[in-house]
Amino acid sequence: MVVPLISLILLCPLAAFAIFGLLGLGNRSFPRQDYLSTAAMLIGLVCSLLLLREVVPDPVPHTVKWISLGGVTFSMGFHLDSVTVIMLIVVTLVSSLVHIFSMGYMHGDPRYPRFFAYLSLFSFSMLFLVVSDNLLGIYIGWELVGLCSYLLIGFWFEKDSAANACKKAFLTTRVGDVGMFIGMMMLFTKFKTLSLYGEGGIFALAASLNTEDMVWLSIAGVLIFCGAIGKSAQVPLHTWLPDAMEGPTPVSALIHAATMVAAGVYLTARMFPILTETSSLVIAYIGGITALIAATIAIVRFDIKRVLAYSTISQLGYMMLGIGAGSYVAGLFHLTTHAFFKALLFLGSGSVIHAFHAMHAHGHDDEHDHAHDDHDAHGNQDLVHAHGSEIPPDQDMRNMGGLRHKMPITFVTMLIATLSISGVPFVFSGFWSKDAILGGVLGRAMEWNSVHHYLLFGIALFAAGITAFYMFRLIFMTFFGEPRNQEMHDMAHESPMSMTVPLLILAVLSLPIVNVLWFNENYVKPPEQPHLHAPQHAHISPDIKTDKAKMTLSLFGISEAVAAEEGGNDTHGAHVDEGHHGHGPAHTIAMVLSIFVAGLGILLSWMFYHRRSLSAESVATTFRPLYNLFWHKYYFDEFYDGVLVALTVWKARLFAQFDGTIVDGIVNGVGTVTRDILAVFIGIFDNRVVDGLVNRVAEVTWAIGGRVRRIQTGAIQTYLFVVLAGIVLLILIFRVL
Amino acid sequence: MTLQHYLVISAILFTLGIFAVLTRRNAISILMGIELILNSCNLNFAAFSRFMTPPEDISGQVIAIFGIVLAAAEAAVFLAIILAIYREFGSIRPNEVDTLKG
Repeated sequence: MVVPLISLILLCPLAAFAIFGLLGLGNRSFPRQDYLSTAAMLIGLVCSLLLLREVVPDPVPHTVKWISLGGVTFSMGFHLDSVTVIMLIVVTLVSSLVHIFSMGYMHGDPRYPRFFAYLSLFSFSMLFLVVSDNLLGIYIGWELVGLCSYLLIGFWFEKDSAANACKKAFLTTRVGDVGMFIGMMMLFTKFKTLSLYGEGGIFALAASLNTEDMVWLSIAGVLIFCGAIGKSAQVPLHTWLPDAMEGPTPVSALIHAATMVAAGVYLTARMFPILTETSSLVIAYIGGITALIAATIAIVRFDIKRVLAYSTISQLGYMMLGIGAGSYVAGLFHLTTHAFFKALLFLGSGSVIHAFHAMHAHGHDDEHDHAHDDHDAHGNQDLVHAHGSEIPPDQDMRNMGGLRHKMPITFVTMLIATLSISGVPFVFSGFWSKDAILGGVLGRAMEWNSVHHYLLFGIALFAAGITAFYMFRLIFMTFFGEPRNQEMHDMAHESPMSMTVPLLILAVLSLPIVNVLWFNENYVKPPEQPHLHAPQHAHISPDIKTDKAKMTLSLFGISEAVAAEEGGNDTHGAHVDEGHHGHGPAHTIAMVLSIFVAGLGILLSWMFYHRRSLSAESVATTFRPLYNLFWHKYYFDEFYDGVLVALTVWKARLFAQFDGTIVDGIVNGVGTVTRDILAVFIGIFDNRVVDGLVNRVAEVTWAIGGRVRRIQTGAIQTYLFVVLAGIVLLILIFRVL
Repeated sequence: MTLQHYLVISAILFTLGIFAVLTRRNAISILMGIELILNSCNLNFAAFSRFMTPPEDISGQVIAIFGIVLAAAEAAVFLAIILAIYREFGSIRPNEVDTLKG
């Protein structure tokens, strides 16, 4: 059943793309193409759900031989384990909902059919990436989703900003992909295969490597992670993701929040068995730094989509941190919960933007003035964004406010997502997954007695507080308070059913009840990491060590039943937290701390943006340098423009000059020498010897011809006479003889 | 009348024909010379057939009849050529038609 089901999942969106994409090329549209594309995704969703029961503990990859080249065989195949299935469900589910949402959001767009064709292609590519059992297949899917991202960011390519953003996204991720490709080639040279699973696969072979190869394996691991840095927008390659918000909002939800950017996390998780101590630490640090930097930038953004973009980067950093710190399950758990609540946030923001959309045409001047009034209070905010993208008025939170009465469904669903991402305890899925990561990091820190991991835990905790702060800032600015722009407010309206229904479904998915699979520790098991050893100095106290087995079991919230089995006469059950976290002291500490910082963040946000007992402006003025740092996004874009781009341009100029003076000089010099010196000699030879010879031959021929032609008198009777004479002569000769 | 008589007549006709072809300054006269040569040949065929082969073998006479038909066709082609030459050169004197002179 496995192969037909997976094939069906892959073929449905591919067929939708192939058929409608080709029709679209001829500028024809199939009636009700949107329904059929959505149906293709829903079939995929049903098949994915059916696959849930097909998962076996030790999956056998289903492979076919693809190419044989010089004794090396490349195969293509599916690998189906619990993580694959969960990813399949997430991708098909979010994709289906985004399809439905797009019917409302993209309604009336001139390239409406093409949009759905692209969405289908993206879904196929992403699913292909997820089910591939080898690095080559993953790489193919990887590049295909990159292509779709490019096409969809630049969907409104008439806008310069969108055209630039899609190029930026494509090129930036390419930087990481180069690293990933080198990493793949390193593994290939060593193992002569790109298959991951099975006896001859990379994981089996890598497990038998000895300690001398650890440096090599670490480098390969970090290089492959480079691909994830690009795709998952980790520092320092994160700058493309905020710009990618130029694409239509459903695209932001599907590709740049829920699925494609999570592919990097998925890849890192797939590579989990070959991660060494060093590469794990690199991954954890990149993730932690990304989480913090992106969260701080999000505080000062006013574009509703950019806030969410930075929030996405920050949350992806969390996932990376989790995997880097060895919390495989936690990282992937957060991936799925984040996919749902972040898709919900993006679709919600899309709903808000949609509500304001009618404003575009006539309210522009007015709101521009208004925006300037607000600018002055913030000092230098009238600076255009580093990349020249002024905030579109319908995305500017300074134009919003008080929308909760106008758009109740959007408000409630977005509030649920916000509570989830902020880590409000117990009833929201984000709390459990984020807490799992924090607990995992702290657990590793205590277990290894590692300064690095204590530091990372601090960073992550701080970022969690900031997350709560900026997410509630978004909610307060958008939905609470007085309308800041009355004209736009009057125009706003709740979105149609096709948009609100996906919001409601996603809101339900943001509750932990549907993420129940993650609480079943038998369903998702982290793979072995044969090359990850606790450092020598780590002291593992006996009580923690004995607890370790239970900790891994109950890593992220164990089900009550299992807790009861294990816990015996513990006092669990009295409090929910005991039931879920009673086995690891790290998790209890982490949970208490995370609830505390989330509460603090929400409280501060409330005081700044709702009650206004604290003034954001005055704080900004007090910490002017810090504020500028955040406002300019840590000067990453400026750095790239000023250093990398400038360096490239300078280098190009240098080479152009080199070409102009030296290469051209040599070419011209050779040309001159040939023309002025060599050609003269050759010319003399030609004129004297060759021409002379030819002329002599011609003259001789001419002279002979001049004499011989006399015979041809042209008089027919002369010829006849000669003929007759000849005959007579012949007769005489034969007579005589 | 013996074979020799016929052959002598034929030789005289042939010689006259050759003479006409080589010396006349008019293409029509040359044609007449050619006709003479052809007819001398026909006479030879008929004579040899009459005197040298059995009476039932008349292939020589048949060849002579062919020769007459041939002569008629040849005359028609020759006259057509002469007409074309006249149109081109305005003359039918062979010594004035010397485009091929080297």
